Amino acid sequence: MANHELEITIAKNGEVRVHVKGAKGKKCLEYSQWLAQIVGKVKDQHYTSEYYEPETKVKIELHQELKEEG
Amino acid sequence: MSTVVILTPIIISSWPVIAPAIMGAAAALGLVVKDDIAEEQNEEQVHETVEVELAESEVIAQNLATEQELVLAKGNLEIRIKRDERGRCVVCASGRDYSKAELEQKAQEFTQKMTQCFVYNRVVSELQNNNMQIVNEEVMEDDTVRINVRHWVD
Repeated sequence: MANHELEITIAKNGEVRVHVKGAKGKKCLEYSQWLAQIVGKVKDQHYTSEYYEPETKVKIELHQELKEEG
Repeated sequence: MSTVVILTPIIISSWPVIAPAIMGAAAALGLVVKDDIAEEQNEEQVHETVEVELAESEVIAQNLATEQELVLAKGNLEIRIKRDERGRCVVCASGRDYSKAELEQKAQEFTQKMTQCFVYNRVVSELQNNNMQIVNEEVMEDDTVRINVRHWVD
């Protein structure tokens, strides 16, 4: 499981700043688009280095040894 | 670090959803609901009035007809919130002993607080609906509200 963190700041005038941490690639965009639907419209958006990192994928390899009996 | 988004709020909702934000803003600014509107309206008093329209707003006509309004008061200051004929939310400030500039400032202050309350209610409600955990919440010195959220995903 991955832990994503959002820091949501609601300014005095209602303007919202969202900082998405821990989510990489398009997962980041999913959060920002979701919040834009709730709050209003995107005024500004910028990406930091983590956005460009590949999304973490867990790869499990299973090996099975078959033994012939007899 | 990954992304930072700045969002401008748009208030499009029905009156029952906006009303809690109005009450939240009223409580924060020390305003109370005025019950004796009819009596007051009969009084022949002329006060300075300033009207501020929430540009990015639309009040869906549910339980509130056009020109119906909610009146809040604090001392001589009166704040009226209504839905105009175009469906926009309008905040009017009026009162004795207040200059036009002061009333404009009061109306803007109320409008901003109401918008902040509306956005806060919407965001918190959606976070809860999506099983996101609020781990910290604080009001900063400049009245900014900061919410820290954790979301575990597969």
